[in-house]
Amino acid sequence: MALKATIRGTSYRFGSIKEVLAKANAAKSGDQLAGVAARDAVERVAARAVLSELTLAELRQHPVVPYEDDELTRLVEDTLDEQAYRAVKDLTVGQLREWLLETTTTGARIRAVSPGLTPEMAAGVCKLMSNMDLMVVGRKCEVVVRANNTLGLPGRMSSRLQPNHPTDDVDGILLSTREGLSYGCGDAVIGVNPATDTAESTAEILTALHALMQRNEIPTQHCVLSHITVQMRALSELRCPMDLMFQSLAGSEQANTAFGISVALVDEAYAMMRELGTARGPNRMYFETGQGSALSSNAHHGADQVTMEARCYGFARRYRPFLVNTVVGFIGPEYLETGAQITRAGLEDHFMGKLLGLPMGCDACFTYHASMSQDELESLKVLLGAAGCAYLMSLPVGDDIMLNYQSTSFHDIPSVRGLLQSRPTPEFDAWLEHAGIMRDGRPGPRFGDAEAIR
Amino acid sequence: MILEPILPKVLSVRHIPAAHPALLRAYGADPERHVSLGLVTCDQDDPTYVALDEATKHARVDVVFAKSFYAGAGHASGPLSGEILGVIAGADPDEVGEGLAALLRCLAHDACFYAADHAGELAVFPHVITSLGHYLSRVAGLAPGQPMAYLVAPPIEFTLALDAALKAADVIAAQIDPPPSATNFASAFLSGDQPSCEAAAVAFAAAVVDVARRPLLPRAY
Amino acid sequence: MTTSRTRALIAALRHQLGADDPLPPAPPLPKVEPPPVRVFPTQRSQSRYAKAASAHTTALLGIGHVGTRYATDVVLQFQAELAVAHEAVAAELPDGWAADNGLLALRSRVTEHREFLLRPDLGRRLDDASLARLRAEAQRGVDVQPILADGLSAVACMGSGLALLASFTRECEGRGLTVGTPLCAKFARVWLADEIGAVVGARVAAILLGERPGLGTGDGLSAYLVYDPKVGRTDGDRNMMSNIHARGTPPEQAGRRLAVLAQAMLLQRTSGVALDLSSLASDLGEAAGTGYRAPQQRVRLVEVGS
Repeated sequence: MALKATIRGTSYRFGSIKEVLAKANAAKSGDQLAGVAARDAVERVAARAVLSELTLAELRQHPVVPYEDDELTRLVEDTLDEQAYRAVKDLTVGQLREWLLETTTTGARIRAVSPGLTPEMAAGVCKLMSNMDLMVVGRKCEVVVRANNTLGLPGRMSSRLQPNHPTDDVDGILLSTREGLSYGCGDAVIGVNPATDTAESTAEILTALHALMQRNEIPTQHCVLSHITVQMRALSELRCPMDLMFQSLAGSEQANTAFGISVALVDEAYAMMRELGTARGPNRMYFETGQGSALSSNAHHGADQVTMEARCYGFARRYRPFLVNTVVGFIGPEYLETGAQITRAGLEDHFMGKLLGLPMGCDACFTYHASMSQDELESLKVLLGAAGCAYLMSLPVGDDIMLNYQSTSFHDIPSVRGLLQSRPTPEFDAWLEHAGIMRDGRPGPRFGDAEAIR
Repeated sequence: MILEPILPKVLSVRHIPAAHPALLRAYGADPERHVSLGLVTCDQDDPTYVALDEATKHARVDVVFAKSFYAGAGHASGPLSGEILGVIAGADPDEVGEGLAALLRCLAHDACFYAADHAGELAVFPHVITSLGHYLSRVAGLAPGQPMAYLVAPPIEFTLALDAALKAADVIAAQIDPPPSATNFASAFLSGDQPSCEAAAVAFAAAVVDVARRPLLPRAY
Repeated sequence: MTTSRTRALIAALRHQLGADDPLPPAPPLPKVEPPPVRVFPTQRSQSRYAKAASAHTTALLGIGHVGTRYATDVVLQFQAELAVAHEAVAAELPDGWAADNGLLALRSRVTEHREFLLRPDLGRRLDDASLARLRAEAQRGVDVQPILADGLSAVACMGSGLALLASFTRECEGRGLTVGTPLCAKFARVWLADEIGAVVGARVAAILLGERPGLGTGDGLSAYLVYDPKVGRTDGDRNMMSNIHARGTPPEQAGRRLAVLAQAMLLQRTSGVALDLSSLASDLGEAAGTGYRAPQQRVRLVEVGS
């Protein structure tokens, strides 16, 4: 296997498939920080040319972190669907791109192939695709999941309601929640990032949200995004209601160790949720990812951040999650510097996750030291909606008063739905119509009226 | 939106490769000659009659059944009923498939009603067939291959517009069906050379627009 | 069939009738009534819901909507808050500022602002000139080495930075602690304190630096304290306090609480997760945790014609 390409008489040689994958990646500040990025645009194209000729079988044989060193690599390798893999293994990455784009390749066919793809394959083909390629294929992928409602159906776009509070004041959380619901937000989950990572606080917030949902008969899910061990204690010892269990994932065993998790731990949590989780199911887990998380704990093994991100999805799919969310601009400009990089990363992550069979949502966001404007962020929300993103976030004015960053607002969700003619999940849609918040899919008499929710 | 096309919506297209002889007979086909049926429902009847005729020009098929439903698409019996069921029949399933394809092309790109008022509530069908197939030629009592103006409008508009059409060109009335049809419209088939049929159709459409604009003229009685 | 003869004929007739405009004529123009004024919730004018919410949260609630979007006033307020945050990030500490204020000027290995944002690793180490200056001019072997720094907001550093430094120094000295030469570091990340503290042989390094701005808040400072500073310390080894500004914890109060924290580190000879603060909770207030953020007041930034 000669990893070599020539452009205008200049030869480019690459030492490994990992290097080809890294240098083929669209320009990202995080890959430069890691020292794995292409020198310039021409070398990047040379790497893509080499990548396009590699077969999927070769990518399987060369995971970016060796089998012996990493339990995620072992998980993917040992559980790969061999029948689905055999159907595509002889395709080159370039051919996979074209197969995915063909009109005859439907969402159902992609779904059939998906269990035979490794994260490296998803990342590889991603690097050969333009933003609109990513959207076209992302839109095709069929991923429909169910907890208390049914997420990911065609023509539907959902939202996570994120009523965070800097001191976990439950009244403050409920006030934000009620307002968000009155804008039609919250059908993916009402999910709180707690300021205090304790089981007691987790249980208190979940119990209050549960009561609000019961009182108003709202068909959705709730979740408190504390550490998975904290949620396990809240569930098993405090026996609080918990529709979804959350954890942040990273793309290598070493990076997950820094997060305080392992495959065995998440297996245990998943089993606990199947027994004690309060959502109807069958999908009961919620994961968050984001490009750069492996590098931030220096656990990227010399791989680029797109490939490491795809490996998170290889981990996540084991648990048939209800939600997976890439928090795309949260980590800072050292990983994604500009609006163009954040936009690209959001579309990449959505595509790769969907290709690997996950119900992908995206926290389209920026921190205030990234170089992205509010207008660029609004554009990204529409692009994600057009690409079939399962859900976006929603906060008052998009402003997270606890985590200090800018995301999607309560007002953005009905706006994007209006632009794209999409609706919430059917169960939640019916509730909104019943509550008078929406009428025939348009803002109704109680729209924006938080007092419509008790 | 005056004189913008109101595109017909095809509600169902199905194919029976080998139909039961009893079904063939009931729908006017001849089990000796016909094996295969193609069925279509649509929310506009007259464009569909034209499209069925078009099918006979592109494939060896006969139009064995074509009926409008009472009071039109606004009062359909089900979501797939529309205002017409048309059935073509042939000896060869592939020919029926060809016929259906021609029929759908005609409905998509040629035959349609037009809005005669801004609100889009008044519809007129001033269609010119350049060359009749063997279905409408039989209905109209004309020879296949002849041109024909196929004119449809609601009762009062039709009456005034037909008068204008007949006076506008050298055409003869092959058939006039005064109101009400099954869908409460009225229709006429005019025959002549192609320029005459076209002049008659244009005069018909112009007259319907005029009636729509000035329904109470020349003066209120 | 490539084109439809009937469609062409009818299009020609449409043109002849002057009906080519695809839109119907616009309806007669009614008088346009101004919509009700919808305002950003302030003390003097807010919805019932906004008023109830402001007792519990600084989230912008009860702001209403125009269609599915914001009222004009909310848009302007939001843009003002965003501009404040971006301005704080973009600001640079002027080169003479430290000396003008009697501080020993240091800088990290970062050479310019964009590099500062993209290379946190360079912001954690001193450049060679600074290292030499520190070795030559700074007092050694102190209990507490305070370092004022720009961090992600030079605006905050130049704003209440000196007040916080003065208050912290005074409170430390009041408790009998020796305090090192006042330093000011440019293009500094939190972990720069490890190298500085190690070079001067301080027992506790305290870096006071501009925090990553939030919406409408470019002037917040954070303080990170670490016992036995040296390169290789991690976040788990530190104690921090954030949101130090007039609307959060005022610098005076923060300086006192940080001094209590430093004293506790010196007594227990440790910091971070290992530090036991249970007996000091009332003295420490919000500095008693490892990452507590005080809620802050939301203030109206835009006033037109006043």
